[in-house]
Amino acid sequence: MSEEFESRLRAALRPVAPSPEFTRNLIARVTADKRTEANTPGGRRRNPKATAWWLSAGMAVSLLMAVGVQQHLQERRETERGLEARREVIEALRMTSQKLNLAYEVIKSQSPSLADDKPGV
Amino acid sequence: MRNCILGLFFALIAPTLVWAAPSPRLVLPEFTALAQKATESVTITLDAALLAMAGRFLNGNDPQDAATQEILKGLQGIYIRSYTFDKDAAYQQSDIDAVRNQLSAPGWNRLVQTRSRKSQANVDIYIMVVNNQATGLALIASEPRQFTIVNIVGAIDLDKLHKLEGQFGVPKLDIDVPKAPTPSVKK
Amino acid sequence: MRILCALDKDKLTLNEAPQGFSDEHLAKARAGDTAALALLIRAHQRTVYSLALRLLGTRELAEDLTQDVFMQLNGNLKSIASNTHLLFWLRQVTSHRAIDQLRRRSRIEMTSLDDEVQLVGTADGGDPLLQRHLQQLLLELSPPARAVLLLRYQEDLDPVDIARTLDMPVNTVKSHLKRSLEILRQRTPPPERRRCEDKST
Repeated sequence: MSEEFESRLRAALRPVAPSPEFTRNLIARVTADKRTEANTPGGRRRNPKATAWWLSAGMAVSLLMAVGVQQHLQERRETERGLEARREVIEALRMTSQKLNLAYEVIKSQSPSLADDKPGV
Repeated sequence: MRNCILGLFFALIAPTLVWAAPSPRLVLPEFTALAQKATESVTITLDAALLAMAGRFLNGNDPQDAATQEILKGLQGIYIRSYTFDKDAAYQQSDIDAVRNQLSAPGWNRLVQTRSRKSQANVDIYIMVVNNQATGLALIASEPRQFTIVNIVGAIDLDKLHKLEGQFGVPKLDIDVPKAPTPSVKK
Repeated sequence: MRILCALDKDKLTLNEAPQGFSDEHLAKARAGDTAALALLIRAHQRTVYSLALRLLGTRELAEDLTQDVFMQLNGNLKSIASNTHLLFWLRQVTSHRAIDQLRRRSRIEMTSLDDEVQLVGTADGGDPLLQRHLQQLLLELSPPARAVLLLRYQEDLDPVDIARTLDMPVNTVKSHLKRSLEILRQRTPPPERRRCEDKST
């Protein structure tokens, strides 16, 4: 009787897996943590000085900086777009190559004499 | 005189020749319904401008980037749709027919058709050749739980492309497919 | 744009526990091989996740704890000597952290039990109502008693190993087991009677 209940308990407590999405995210996070260095951002704060006789100079400097920052942000956005495009290109070519390889493997398995031939056009 | 007549003849038919030139760019559906069912979907649309932008960020000194740069030469576009499902037969072949039908248009030649009973993967590769030059590639790979459509516009070197896999940091896990765990009902 | 898994084989392993995680893989993971690390996670996620889920009671908390445990493992891999040690470490850290969390919480949420039932029902095709019932009872046990029961009947550890894992005297482990089993057995009707009750509701 006791053994039967314990069997039922074991059956009810069989390990379960998390969702595939969670697993993927977990692996990505842990392996990324392994690869990247801790990269704490600079965290430099700018404390605007509000004394009277710095005010106009401060405004002029702020204006110049705003222009400069805007340019920098624009460049940064373009860099990000470019890097994203690069990533997409690499992924696209990798996927295409993988599917080509799928076909190549089938051809290779069916025609051993062609195994050394170059695929493609 | 004869040259004038010949010139006139070609001038007259030239527009029709241009008009009849096939386009290597396929019209890829959005697959909205399938995307909702899919556990993963990949949509890549890279036109000439984006390819050029990407090219500027490739480092010629890096082997992977250099290989990619080689392949990108002459390309005008890369378009991919790929959907993965969590069960077999979640999509129908008729879902892909809208794309296949375009590949029966003049200009497209089927280069490879593979059918694998082992992996149940079917791969069809088409190429468009104009004036003895490859101007486009189309690939349709259908597997039990995934289908992928690739359309590349421009001159593509299949051999270089085939050799790319393994260069992108994709780990090649030399592990046998594990068996499903047996229930651990122990005494 | 989401990155597809590189190989179809990976899709097959995501929801299963591959048995092929060897000491060689562990050595590679310790050396920084991310593929081996990914394999380690796949091989052991069920243990960690199931312990966390059944100790904490909700999927969200279980996922958080699972992630924390593997991140902590990541930082301590060099100190893991073998696969046996690894399993011991995972069970110990998961149990201790879950018990600590439970001690800080005043209320156990039971809203996600339907999710648990679906998971377990799918995994082994057993009776989901019975599983739900047992899991509800499990959540009513004290955290240490729950941990003892899980390590015994989910992980199949003997009382000595459970005592070592939880830093608990062996006799305490045995007491927890005896009392918990009595409670569960008394409050779980036998299969025949339970089926009649299901039909009537």
